[in-house]
Amino acid sequence: MLPEIAEAPVRPLHRWRITPGQRLQRHSWDDTEFVLFNDLSGDTHLLDADAIDVLQLLSVAEADTATLAATLQVDADQADALDELLDELVKQYLIEPAC
Amino acid sequence: MLTVDTLSRAELVARLAGDGLELRTGAFVTRLQTRIPSVADGISLLYADYPLGEYTGFADFHLRMFRPAGWRRWYRPQVQLQSDGNAPFTPLPLAHAFPMFEWGLNWCVASRAHNHLIIHAAVVEKEGRAAILPAPPGSGKSTLCTALVHRGWRLLSDELALIRLDDGHVMPLPRPISLKNASIALMRDYLDSPVFSTPVHDTIKGTVAHLKAPRDSVLRSAEPARPAWIIFPQYAAGAEPELSPLSPARGHMELAQNAFNYSMLGSAGFHAMARVIGMSSCHQFRYSRLDDAVELFRQLQPVQP
Repeated sequence: MLPEIAEAPVRPLHRWRITPGQRLQRHSWDDTEFVLFNDLSGDTHLLDADAIDVLQLLSVAEADTATLAATLQVDADQADALDELLDELVKQYLIEPAC
Repeated sequence: MLTVDTLSRAELVARLAGDGLELRTGAFVTRLQTRIPSVADGISLLYADYPLGEYTGFADFHLRMFRPAGWRRWYRPQVQLQSDGNAPFTPLPLAHAFPMFEWGLNWCVASRAHNHLIIHAAVVEKEGRAAILPAPPGSGKSTLCTALVHRGWRLLSDELALIRLDDGHVMPLPRPISLKNASIALMRDYLDSPVFSTPVHDTIKGTVAHLKAPRDSVLRSAEPARPAWIIFPQYAAGAEPELSPLSPARGHMELAQNAFNYSMLGSAGFHAMARVIGMSSCHQFRYSRLDDAVELFRQLQPVQP
């Protein structure tokens, strides 16, 4: 019998980066909701302050999830929320795995 | 500046049939050539107050409307509209000629005036402050706009908000207001002596009639206005008037959904939109009775700069 193939880890510790080639411009009128324009896709996104914080950090340097969590002071019980946020930013082509 | 009503009927028809009538609407000059009587009728009735172009040889838009050749010329006659020699629309029944002119002119502006951010919206102004009313068809936008511009507001447009890219102000484009179906009878009752084009039935939008724009709005076609309110109207039968705040960021996203050239303008469109949002308060508005809506608009206060 063939050995079972181990499943991929649920939360790979990717390093993340801003999707190359895009220049992100944003406006906010209340510092809680932001509109963000991606000049690569031409899309405008409605984002909250957490998403903007992640993008701001990644615009400075690539970072892994743990580093982002530490820098943004994400509590352990909020780790899932950070993963969901990163997934959402990936789906919007704003960030991508760096490796 | 000469206006359309300075031409006799014979002169108007001769210009339309000859080199073309140059008609100034807002910042645009349209040269229109046609021999179709219903178009001449509509121009004579609804554009009487509009300036003629100066016949310098330049016009922003060149429109020609004619009856296509072929057997349909006699059996179910049609009208074709050409813009700079191209036909952006399929031919329509001849009876739809005047609405087709209006739709064609809208198309010219929406597809070419890209030195503005163009939003599908009505715009009305009072004391220099503009209320932008973006909304999809069926929301009651034109009906509400009509009521407002006959109750103290100036008409900038019932269809196209032209936002200047450099300062976010709205340029006027007052044109006849397009009303559909039940709104036509509603406005005949609501207004004092309204001037309507002949209703045209069985168009793609149902029965359509155009209402003459207020003369004062036409005379003030060169006066832009600073945005102060973005109000998304929604007619709902029986609803009490309800003005609900919308956050600026959500207002931006909603407004972008109603823009014709937001994506095409790219970063310039994004920043122009944000500038408009920054000058305005955003709201959703449900209503059923026009007098309620007029009263609510009367009480609007602009955001402090």
